[in-house]
Amino acid sequence: MRQSIRAWRRSMGWSVAPLCAAVALGASGVALAHHSFAMFDSAHQVKLAGTVKSFEWSNPHVYIELNATGADGSSKDYTVECANPGILDRIGWKFNMIKPGDKITVIIAPLKTGEPGGLLKQVTLPDGRVFANGAPAGKASIK
Amino acid sequence: MLQITRRNSSSMAATCVLAAVCLGVAAPALAAAPAAQPAAPASIEGSAAAVHGLTGTWNRYPQLGEAPDPKLPPPPPPVAPPPLKAQYKPDWNAKQEAIKEADARGEPPFTDYVKCLPDGMPTMMIAMFPMEVLQTPGQVTIMQEAYNQVRRIYLNEKQIPIEDAEPGYWGHSVGHWEGNTLIVDTVGIKPTVLFRGVPHSDQMRIHERIEMLRPDFFEDHITVEDPVYLTAPWSFTYAYTRLPHYKMLEYVCDSNREYKDPKTGGTRMRIGGH
Repeated sequence: MRQSIRAWRRSMGWSVAPLCAAVALGASGVALAHHSFAMFDSAHQVKLAGTVKSFEWSNPHVYIELNATGADGSSKDYTVECANPGILDRIGWKFNMIKPGDKITVIIAPLKTGEPGGLLKQVTLPDGRVFANGAPAGKASIK
Repeated sequence: MLQITRRNSSSMAATCVLAAVCLGVAAPALAAAPAAQPAAPASIEGSAAAVHGLTGTWNRYPQLGEAPDPKLPPPPPPVAPPPLKAQYKPDWNAKQEAIKEADARGEPPFTDYVKCLPDGMPTMMIAMFPMEVLQTPGQVTIMQEAYNQVRRIYLNEKQIPIEDAEPGYWGHSVGHWEGNTLIVDTVGIKPTVLFRGVPHSDQMRIHERIEMLRPDFFEDHITVEDPVYLTAPWSFTYAYTRLPHYKMLEYVCDSNREYKDPKTGGTRMRIGGH
């Protein structure tokens, strides 16, 4: 089958490098997102429980402003970056599923700068439903 | 089975007939004809199969993290490095290295894309998000959900002289159908609109063979030519699968919280709202 495709591609007069499905598996070359995720520390994810101050459904990103109690016991406002409305719509989010005042839990990859914010990996809503943040952002590595 | 037969055929006429059969379009006369007989001449916009087959919404294939579907042709290989002329290679290599290092420091470069400027051509065909194609008389329109991008391909028109091409993000595209393949020529890409950071001149020309391989699958074979910067044509292919019933979303970048760190030049995220 692959041989025949190769032969056919050659017959069409187009130089196509040898096909290698295995290579394409992990590296489809799809642009990941609006920006690189290098500013977030995905290797040291943290869990925060708090109260939603605002939920902004916009491009290039959706944002949750969350007031949460940190490890030191002090209350702090965190900015949680989510994917964009398109990616989130396609994995079942709704533009109004988070509201100010909601008690939610998030797992984030914190900003490497140490500022109170990060990239969402997973959110648990007041009704217990759990949502990821789409394939480009990657999964939560903690529970 | 039909697919394999079709691929091995060197006859465009047979390809048209079989494409019509495979695509299951309302072309009973064509579909009923035995493959051995020559097909009726293609209409001005190509075969009946080609005329409507591209219309619809599409996803890049395979999607991130998605295993290839064994029923589909193998995914195209990754894009090869650009065949830059020797004098331009060190600069491009250095920039790629700098991007990697900046990422490693957690200070990814603040690019035009992070600024919310659209990809333009040919980057738009990466199809980060779903893509909609509309075929209307004399025109094929390709829309990319990310950044609300639109490119228009004018059918059966002569390309304008390259020196008359106004520089822009998507350029000036003309195309014509050859069987199940839409052949497209694009000129007039702005010097700041870069694919993989590769510089180009106003002599750059983008050739595309947008090939409907199945009713639910097509490939865009892209070849970039630039006599100023490249030693040879630079070819790569992207594949797409149909996304049935998908309704494209709007994408207006009205809340960009990413900004350029004045000290490092890297991307930062604004904390605490706008």
